[in-house]
Amino acid sequence: MKRIADWWFAPAPAERLAALRVVIGLYALVYLWRRFGEFLNVANLPVSQFQGVGLTKWSGPLPASAIAVMLVVTIIALIAFVAGALYRYAAPIAALGLLFVTTYRNSWGMVFHTENLLVLHIVALAFAPAADVWSIDARYRAPRPHAGYGWAIKLVVALTAATYMLAGIAKLRIAGFGWVDGALLRNQIAIDNLRKVLLGDSKAVLATPFLEHPSFFTAFCALTLMLELGAGITLVGGWPARIWALAVWGFHLGVVLLMNIWFIYPLSFVAFLPVFPVEKVILRAQEWRRRRRG
Amino acid sequence: MNRVPAAVLSILLIGATLSPLVRNPNDDSYPLSTYPMFSWRRPTQLSMSYPIGDTPTGRRYLTPRIIGSGEVLQARAIVERAVSRGGTELRTLCERIAATVATVPRFSDVTQIRIMSGTHESIDFLVRDKLGPETERFHCPVKR
Repeated sequence: MKRIADWWFAPAPAERLAALRVVIGLYALVYLWRRFGEFLNVANLPVSQFQGVGLTKWSGPLPASAIAVMLVVTIIALIAFVAGALYRYAAPIAALGLLFVTTYRNSWGMVFHTENLLVLHIVALAFAPAADVWSIDARYRAPRPHAGYGWAIKLVVALTAATYMLAGIAKLRIAGFGWVDGALLRNQIAIDNLRKVLLGDSKAVLATPFLEHPSFFTAFCALTLMLELGAGITLVGGWPARIWALAVWGFHLGVVLLMNIWFIYPLSFVAFLPVFPVEKVILRAQEWRRRRRG
Repeated sequence: MNRVPAAVLSILLIGATLSPLVRNPNDDSYPLSTYPMFSWRRPTQLSMSYPIGDTPTGRRYLTPRIIGSGEVLQARAIVERAVSRGGTELRTLCERIAATVATVPRFSDVTQIRIMSGTHESIDFLVRDKLGPETERFHCPVKR
């Protein structure tokens, strides 16, 4: 138990956690800002189409004006989240707001899977000491004593690993090991692209050439399952975690080329930054600026 | 935050994220998902309804946005609902699509909208351009 605790609470630089707060928070802020209209449009859909999931099973449908207020409050809280201002209060509001408004968007008969990981990351960061440096709070108060920064970074990495492992386990639970033969995925890709063509959306660039070669799908499926079930390797850290992150990014690129489905958060690579020493980029930039100024 | 609350928070969040493991994998939710996408067995045949634009040289497929939503699945739901209800709702959808098409320059060659229901073999359709059987549900002219 002590060894696990020592590993989980191993020290990490405050700057790394702060960099994750800034980059992931900024991603969430831009994401919500750019989709403000879309989130509002969904809130205006007929109530008969509402199908609550998660939190909205309890809340039920709400007036569009309430969703608009929640969106504005969440955006303001996310600005404070990124700036590290009144973090103890603003960050949980940002996390709860983001959780609610994205849940609401998923409550109209179609559960998307593109925002789950982002929300989990924001929730984890909201309750971590992520504003001890590179923040407005840090200018006005000394950090409270706490368990360090390493555990929070590991938590964000563990949440990433858990979501990918769940996706792999779901394939085995629903389809069994037969999923690896590729026929199921090939059919899925064919149906998905056909639906897009009939409704006038863009077909995936590589769909047609690869549909002619079924054996390709066996390799793609085996690789997918290996990456998803092997996501736990990210907790080891170092180069194994970074190779995994790059491979999964490549997998998402493959999904775009074969299905024209965009998981923007992992494709932006922000989702994988927790396994990289992301603070070093900022520190080097600061150093470079200092040297230029003499 | 000392170690105890940090450990409790870590266990709670990881436990919640992994909690879908004890649910039926088809019982999806948000944000605690079972991530069932791409796992279901699917037939290669697809039956669905969709609008097409007739031109002097053949048919053209429209866009989800012209149908009524930027999201493909929501656009599909709009067409399916109108087809299943028929009558006025189907006519309204057809006329609304025709009115929108009339304003889009890249569809200037479209003279008529037809709402079709078809059953297609997906790989034949995509790889060999082979259409399956189709039934026309409604048609309306594009007035310019």
